[in-house]
Amino acid sequence: MTPDRRIPGDWFDQPVPGNVEIHDEAYVETAFSFLLYRSQLAAGVRIGRGASVYLGTMFDVGRQGRVSCGAFTLVNGARIVCDAEILIEDYVLISWNVVLMDTYRVPADPALRRRAVIAAASGEPRRVDGHVEARPIHIKRAAWIGFDACVLPGVTIGEGAIVGARSVVTEDVEPFTIVVGNPARMVRRIEPGETTP
Amino acid sequence: MEGRTPAAGTWSDGTLPANVVLGARTLVTGAGAFRRFMSTGDRALSIGSDCTMDGVQFALGAEARVSIGDYCYFTNVVLLSELELRIGSYVVIGWNTTITDTDFHPIAPAERVRDAVACSPLGKGHPRPPIARRAVIIEDDVWIGPNAAIMKGVRVGAGAFIEPGAILTADVPPLARVAGNPARVVGTVR
Repeated sequence: MTPDRRIPGDWFDQPVPGNVEIHDEAYVETAFSFLLYRSQLAAGVRIGRGASVYLGTMFDVGRQGRVSCGAFTLVNGARIVCDAEILIEDYVLISWNVVLMDTYRVPADPALRRRAVIAAASGEPRRVDGHVEARPIHIKRAAWIGFDACVLPGVTIGEGAIVGARSVVTEDVEPFTIVVGNPARMVRRIEPGETTP
Repeated sequence: MEGRTPAAGTWSDGTLPANVVLGARTLVTGAGAFRRFMSTGDRALSIGSDCTMDGVQFALGAEARVSIGDYCYFTNVVLLSELELRIGSYVVIGWNTTITDTDFHPIAPAERVRDAVACSPLGKGHPRPPIARRAVIIEDDVWIGPNAAIMKGVRVGAGAFIEPGAILTADVPPLARVAGNPARVVGTVR
């Protein structure tokens, strides 16, 4: 980053927000990823050493939200919706069009939701924001999430696990397993010492 | 105030097609909003008041009609219509969800071969075969999560809650919570 918090060569002519910590040896493609970012915490987003965050990734982080991307994580265009905490550990790989959401942002009850929607229409900027409790997401070391997958509030994905493309993860994923489908189900375990044949 | 109508809604990134009607305080954003808008009908797209259409693609074919009520909030939704999408009020639709009222191409392989030729650069003079299309109806107060899809002919009942990633191929009763691929009713919203 430049001293005025710009990303060199960025097509999006805005600085990275002051309370976003990017390691000197991390790569963030564009500050556009922070267009929806509004965390008021000291480090609302933290991006670790050797991590890379590519175009299409959006940190839609609410006022009390906190996202951490560990060392050597690869975030290749995910929609990160966070009002509490999304903790991504080291070596995690996240593919394109993945949705990580620790909150639905609106109540399930339609009468209450209608009120939230009406309130959003008079906001500046307009946002449907923080009307329900958020439940943190934890993605542990070296997990891999395939493209177009969704990870829902409260989910923990265990170390080394794989989430297949287009899966919707509604429950915790055991470490060293592969889950696929909508809703996601375990299809096999990854054996210790397993190598590519 | 008497004799004064509120200002119509706006599109932040260009001049609206003449057959698009936006209600008061409705905001449409995104340079791609009308890139695939081909409908020629009168009032082909009408959106009520106080709506937020952030990054929505209005991909309407020549005969398509799309109506959206008041206080709707859509984020990067893809609306693909060759017939009719009828969407009520207070409807929220999440990022990267697709709604379509058509199959785009025929089911029968022989017809599909003809369609492939008709759609090709050599297709002049080859009419396209008939293609299934059935209106999609989404009633008031429906919430649809991100990465979902609503396919042709589906009616989503008032107040229903469509979980992220759900693929809807059949009607959803009012106040139902649905999830999965294919989507199933997994509960109610209350």
